[in-house]
Amino acid sequence: MKLSLLLFGFGIVLVVLQTTLQRLLPIGPVVPDLILVLCVYWGLHHPTAGAALGSFMLGYSVDIISSRLLGVNAFAMSLVFLSVYLGSRSIWLHHPIVSSIIVFIAALVKGAGLVLVWIVFLSTEGFWQGAVKYIVSEALIAAVLAPFMFALLQHGENLVAKPGTAAQ
Amino acid sequence: MLAFLRKYQIPLSSGFCLLLSFYILTVSARGQLKNEPVGAVLMWVLRPLQIVAQGTANWFIGIQENYLTWSGFKSENERLRNRIQALEVERQRLLEAEATNRKLQKLLDFRVQLPGKPVTASIIADSASSWFQGCIIDKGSADGVHKDMAVVTPLGVIGKVVSVTGRSAKVILLTDANSGIDVMVQRTRSRGIVSGSLDSGTVLKYMKRSEDVQVGDRLITSGLDGVFPKGLLAGTVIKVNKQSLGLFQSIEVMPAVQSALVEEVLVVGSGGETEPAKN
Repeated sequence: MKLSLLLFGFGIVLVVLQTTLQRLLPIGPVVPDLILVLCVYWGLHHPTAGAALGSFMLGYSVDIISSRLLGVNAFAMSLVFLSVYLGSRSIWLHHPIVSSIIVFIAALVKGAGLVLVWIVFLSTEGFWQGAVKYIVSEALIAAVLAPFMFALLQHGENLVAKPGTAAQ
Repeated sequence: MLAFLRKYQIPLSSGFCLLLSFYILTVSARGQLKNEPVGAVLMWVLRPLQIVAQGTANWFIGIQENYLTWSGFKSENERLRNRIQALEVERQRLLEAEATNRKLQKLLDFRVQLPGKPVTASIIADSASSWFQGCIIDKGSADGVHKDMAVVTPLGVIGKVVSVTGRSAKVILLTDANSGIDVMVQRTRSRGIVSGSLDSGTVLKYMKRSEDVQVGDRLITSGLDGVFPKGLLAGTVIKVNKQSLGLFQSIEVMPAVQSALVEEVLVVGSGGETEPAKN
């Protein structure tokens, strides 16, 4: 529970970071999806009911800031969490080297979720080419960032778990 | 039963979250989500963090720009002499820009051109998603901002307010794929809709093939959508493609304002007519 709250708090910081990255880095219109990487980490390493709710709330936070239609990212992040959780039960996915691949696939799942929502609720005029571009760009950026964020989160967990060791 | 719930608590809670988000989507799409307390609380929590983060980002950009200037100074002395001259010219230009900026700021404060009582606001966060183009401003219902107010700068249209909390508001940008602003070509008065697009940036929609639209044409708000005052610059036509088939032309538009470069905006109610910005 404590860890879930800490990860959620870290997620809120990442949401804020995401809202400034576009201004800070010359990355064009694609915003690095740090929340996605966090949800994948959560689903892989600490899957609990609180983590599912946390993923939903972080997606909803992105919706509150960015989306005209509420629930889009909440849906996508819940989908990502569930997919990663179910995947991790069937296949051994915890090796650090495969974190990029998992995040890449999770980003594709999120993209598929967004496309689904877009088709059902929004206009698809002038949509497909841009959608493919965003899905692939976001997936690639998230995959590149994944090993670093996973290492950072693991390090943070160690600090929380062993404060005495960290002090040394 | 309890054992079943305990065993499958993760997929069940995930499924619940999926259903909940789908319900929120449905209600939100129908426009029935009026009072949304969770969002208001989240915005209340995020607002100070965003102000700090945005301030830090702007400070960092300043440092970065300074560093780039000084790294050139250190590496090449000879180049520096030329650079100093160039910088002197640049400095003069910046001083002039600063003076102009002051005038614009006074203009903003004066706000006589715009109808109603415009509210000056700062952008405190950009979009956190690639799929939606929006921003958060630091003024909300407590400051007189409400839904469907226009967000503009002296250079032109930025977007419109789509939701409001007490001290902040969410703005959908002109460049968002789900936005739409009723505009007319300043030269010919032909009407169309400017909107964002995931495929090809900002576009002018529903312009008949028979209408005369040329590259460089300025698009101004028509005032007929009940959101934007008439006469604000929305963008400039940069590409016209009259396809052999279809009712409408395919027109690409350069937005009048690059929102990523803007820090302060005016929020204004509809009605009245505005003198469009001159080149």
